[in-house]
Amino acid sequence: MSRERTYKVDLLTRVEGEGRFHLVVDGEDVKEAHLSIFEAPRFFEAFMRGRSFQEAPDIVARICGICPVAYQMSAVRALENALAWVPTPEIRTLRRLLYCGEWIESHALHVFLLHAPDFLGYASAMDMARDHKALVERGLRMKKAGNSLIEVLGGRAIHPVSVRVGGFSRAPSPAELGALRPALEQGLGDALTTVKWASGLRAPELESDYVFVTLCAQDYPLEWGDQIAISGRGQFPVEAFDELFEEQQVARSNALHCRLRDGTPYLCGPMARLNHAHERLHPTALAALATSGLTLPLRNPYRSIVVRAIELVHAFAEALAIIDGYSCPQPACFDLEAASASGSGASEAPRGLLWHRYELDAGGLVETARIVPPTSQNQARIEADLVAIAPELLRLDHDAATRRCEQLIRAYDPCISCATHFLELTIDRAGADRSSAI
Amino acid sequence: MDSSNPVHARRPRLGVFKLASCDGCQLTLLDCEDELLAVAQAVDIVHFPEASSSLMPEGPFDVVLVEGSLSTSEQLEQLHRIRKNARALVTIGACATAGGIQALRNFADHAEFARAVYARPDMLPILAKSTPVAEHVSVDFELRGCPIDKRQLIELIAAMLVGRAPVIPNESVCMECKRRGAVCVVVTKNQACLGPVTHAGCGAICPAFARGCYGCFGPRERPNTRALAQHMRAQGLTGREIARSFRLFTAYAPEFREESERHES
Amino acid sequence: MAERLNSEHLDDLIALMRGDGYRVIGPTIRDEAIVYDELRSAADLPWGFTDQQGPGRYRLQRRPDRAAFGYVVGPHSWKRFLFPPREQLVRIRRGSDSPQWTAATDDGPGLALLGVRACELAAIAIQDRVFMGGPFVDGRYRVRRERCLIIAVNCTEAGELCFCDSMDTGPEVQGDYDLRMTELGTELVLDAGSARGRELLERLPSRPAEDSVADRAQAAIERCRRSMGRRLDTRDLPARLMGNLDHPRYQDVADRCLACGNCTSVCPTCFCFTISDTSGVTDGEAGRERSWDSCFGAEHSTIHGAQFRPDVRSRYQQWLTHKLATWTAQFGTSGCVGCGRCIAWCPVGIDLTVEASTIAAGAGDPVPLPPVQSYAPRAGDGLVPVPARVLEVHRETHDVVNLVLQAPAGYAPEHGQFNMLSLPAIGDVPMSISGSGDGVLEHTLRSVGNATRALAGLREGAVVGLRGPFGKPWPLEQAVGRHLVLIAGGIGLAPLRSAVRETVQRPKDFPNVRILYGTRSPDDIIYDRELLGWIQASHLRAHVTVDRGDRSWSGNIGVVTKLMRRKHTPRSGLYFLCGPEIMMRYALAELDRLGIPAEHIYLSLERNMKCAVGICGRCQYGPHFVCKDGPVFRYDQIASIFGKVGF
Repeated sequence: MSRERTYKVDLLTRVEGEGRFHLVVDGEDVKEAHLSIFEAPRFFEAFMRGRSFQEAPDIVARICGICPVAYQMSAVRALENALAWVPTPEIRTLRRLLYCGEWIESHALHVFLLHAPDFLGYASAMDMARDHKALVERGLRMKKAGNSLIEVLGGRAIHPVSVRVGGFSRAPSPAELGALRPALEQGLGDALTTVKWASGLRAPELESDYVFVTLCAQDYPLEWGDQIAISGRGQFPVEAFDELFEEQQVARSNALHCRLRDGTPYLCGPMARLNHAHERLHPTALAALATSGLTLPLRNPYRSIVVRAIELVHAFAEALAIIDGYSCPQPACFDLEAASASGSGASEAPRGLLWHRYELDAGGLVETARIVPPTSQNQARIEADLVAIAPELLRLDHDAATRRCEQLIRAYDPCISCATHFLELTIDRAGADRSSAI
Repeated sequence: MDSSNPVHARRPRLGVFKLASCDGCQLTLLDCEDELLAVAQAVDIVHFPEASSSLMPEGPFDVVLVEGSLSTSEQLEQLHRIRKNARALVTIGACATAGGIQALRNFADHAEFARAVYARPDMLPILAKSTPVAEHVSVDFELRGCPIDKRQLIELIAAMLVGRAPVIPNESVCMECKRRGAVCVVVTKNQACLGPVTHAGCGAICPAFARGCYGCFGPRERPNTRALAQHMRAQGLTGREIARSFRLFTAYAPEFREESERHES
Repeated sequence: MAERLNSEHLDDLIALMRGDGYRVIGPTIRDEAIVYDELRSAADLPWGFTDQQGPGRYRLQRRPDRAAFGYVVGPHSWKRFLFPPREQLVRIRRGSDSPQWTAATDDGPGLALLGVRACELAAIAIQDRVFMGGPFVDGRYRVRRERCLIIAVNCTEAGELCFCDSMDTGPEVQGDYDLRMTELGTELVLDAGSARGRELLERLPSRPAEDSVADRAQAAIERCRRSMGRRLDTRDLPARLMGNLDHPRYQDVADRCLACGNCTSVCPTCFCFTISDTSGVTDGEAGRERSWDSCFGAEHSTIHGAQFRPDVRSRYQQWLTHKLATWTAQFGTSGCVGCGRCIAWCPVGIDLTVEASTIAAGAGDPVPLPPVQSYAPRAGDGLVPVPARVLEVHRETHDVVNLVLQAPAGYAPEHGQFNMLSLPAIGDVPMSISGSGDGVLEHTLRSVGNATRALAGLREGAVVGLRGPFGKPWPLEQAVGRHLVLIAGGIGLAPLRSAVRETVQRPKDFPNVRILYGTRSPDDIIYDRELLGWIQASHLRAHVTVDRGDRSWSGNIGVVTKLMRRKHTPRSGLYFLCGPEIMMRYALAELDRLGIPAEHIYLSLERNMKCAVGICGRCQYGPHFVCKDGPVFRYDQIASIFGKVGF
């Protein structure tokens, strides 16, 4: 009798977008490990062509309903770099505040509604609420605080409207932001409680030797940074992304896979950020890290729920600090002149590095657009981790093993609709000639 | 329905499905932070993959919320199954009601589009056009928007629970803009704004944020797009700019599609 | 006596009013316009700013001086404070078997409106007539008005779009103000128009104004009067507009008009609103709220899926003729005060003065409007339902039921009137009264939408909300001693039923009653047993026809006009019609052919009634409100608009 076992889930749940996974293990040998994405592709990079650079923040937001701000931020950074404009400190700060809102909203969603049910053994947060109402309510409260922040700055929580290349169409008044204080203060307290709670969760053992990739700047990586840090390899300009990484299309997936040029899979996201930049956390978050029991470098992906909690503390604390020192940017938006130019930009989406590059024609219309989202970067790494847990799976019954795989995948907070896009490929051009078949 | 007496009526069974989309519209349900747990009590959420790993894709459902456009042949089959298992089908968002931003490919050469993004486009089981749900099955109600509005979603659910028609007027964004007390950006700043021809529901966010409406709720009833386009031209917009302004998240809605095609050059 | 006050003391005025507990609303700059919003001090005023306006254009600009009131009017009007864009009317407790409806009250602070222009004060006076002129008084509006303090300001400069002089509403403030100011350089000339105003003035550091100063103020107002940017010839304007409903210019406007509704929203007098019930996901509380509506929207003129104003042309016509013509028949005043907002804030700059002048100058003969009606004031809040218990439910046909309700104490409707019936969180619908007496009342309803379906599904003992009775009844007493012919189609027999019953009880007064009744099929005949009973009376004859018969049907087949034979339709008779509008149209044509004078014909109409008390504007029918001037109309009074698209 063969010792081959198959673990598969045809529709990954509690993730954003549609994917499945398939793991075939023979003894301790992994025969196949696929995270495949069957989410329908939407061709953003193709229809970005011919659109005005001013439309880019609105269009790219639609790649993802959970992290639209990340897309807008990477796009405006890339386009402003292209047009050789540096945002004023006030506009930068306001963008960071907006991004804090998205981190809060996205992390709270992930920690409480998507990932926590794995640790506590429920199908959903709604089920979990029957036994752990206060816990779920705490998560919803934080999530709402993050969404409120985005709403005040951008009009609505999903696909906010105020982000422009050159600033904001409208900046909030200090009074509007001040009104958010009570919810953010409560959120900070809730986040600290969450660090404690998450630290106490039993995480399965798994240590991998990751290559971490993050944006790199003076502050904890978030909305800003012109360098990319690759652990063990150094820091590189954002513009050099293509020299560092390459994307590949694989048959089983509608998303493109991204690896280091030498083929190494890598990890971006909260765990990468914490390992690279923990000393730049807000002091309150740094203190929370100290009490969390995490030891750095952290190499257990299941523990990323604790990291998200620490980043929640950071985002709340930073948002409060920004609001306290806020003065309305004057003007809120600068008119940038169109030019034939190209530029790259990146920011740290809740789930990791998000890189954009645009080429514009003299009239400011997009000639080419390239977008590399965090989930396509993490995809190869997720598969590598699935391979790594194979021996452990053998000790579990089939259902529990399958759930363990899912839990692992969710630890990456994969954002599958983001991952299904796009791209002009640098390799494997062979298939292009046969495209007339469709 | 009375919450103190839940046994009286069976809780309606709800399913949430996704086609080609960004997930933002179904996320809107999870963004109803104040109401989510109450909703989960009032209705029986039997299938909602984004939020629950307990799946029951075959229903049966009293109501399904369908997000996303039809982009692949599998989705088409899936949609027919959903329709068969649902008493009422509600489409949520611009993708499901108008084909979404991805319907921009409907205006271009599809094969060329796929080549621009994927090196091996032959691997993709993609339909030539991204189309709205109502083009394939009957739809009982449409919630517009990119994304849908949280208050409208709650109104839809609350109305369903008591059996009233949801109060979701098909009027212009201008009506909401004026009720909100926002100042018209066309009149004060000469900005291009689709508000007069766009279905209300967002609360007139864009004008309140000092920019013109970009039409993400799609056309309102009897939109005079021709008059608006004429006005845009008089204000100095080129034909291409006019075409682009009608061609965003609800580009494939017939009224906007036709208007953009009139200005293509 | 006029007083002088240095403009810097506006800060004292604002502080005084705030100290008295008022929320001070006045001009301030926001989003590149002078809007009305809460003022905390005089620093919030638009010192040194003015507005430049044209059709579809508004620009905020600096002035050479530091005038506080050196602008004309902006995008807001005071109506958003006295008649808020969205407001709860009724609180509803549901979830038990005895739902309750109670009036929602406005417990907010009194408003002090600072900087009210002459045209705006005239607009407030117009809305006062709408909301407080009867028959019902809008309680929330009245409370706000009574608590409201008005600090008006005379205009000394006219804008490009101003025509208050033509409308006789300005530029000098007239009427009901507390304080009135004229700004002259760095000074204000003030006078009080009320005791509250005098009391305020006494607390300000003002001094008496010399005659020369008062004269300068008056001269500035007169200069303004002579510099109006627009004019409108208002002589006989209502009749000239009503005489040119077919003017080709309407189509020309329709090609430009976006039907966005902005003109109605910025208009300081437009009052149309819609009403809807609200409820949450689980809680037992629900509510009923109103929000601004516009005749440019589809739902304004839609019932049961039919749209009375289906196109932009008819919607624009409704707005223009209402504003400048039919308003005079409804409220005894024009609906326009000449502020020019509808011109400035129309995105495509459609100019009311140009369009109205062009259309009124058309070749059509003037059509005079009926004189303004007055209504006896009625007690109570007409918008709040009272509970009424369902005593019996009878099924009439597969989709028609007859509800017998316990009538509220003292409830005495007349034949042909209607009630509004509500279910909590679902909303209310107009329903004709099909019978009453002995402490009960009856409604016969067909389930066509959510609300009627829910009502039709009620069981004995359930409680509905009831408002009414509303509207004008059938003029049954006029039929005494005459032939009376009742022509009904389908469910249209219901509003006639109580009148029939009365004629059955008074055979001497009604010696010749004839019912001509058409339905779709034999199964759709309502009150069939009752019909048989009625015709037992020798003075009453009933003729029934159906569109489609079946095997058991040996009666007439065809439309109701087939029953209108000469011997059934004496010229001296009185005719009551009720049914689908298309059926009434054919019946009226037939009656005309038979030589029946229009003033002998009465018909009951249906329009999109929401408030039922004559203030929401949804059931406008030319110069009439169907809810208070109808639903029963004498045909000659509506003949010019009956059956016309747009009405």
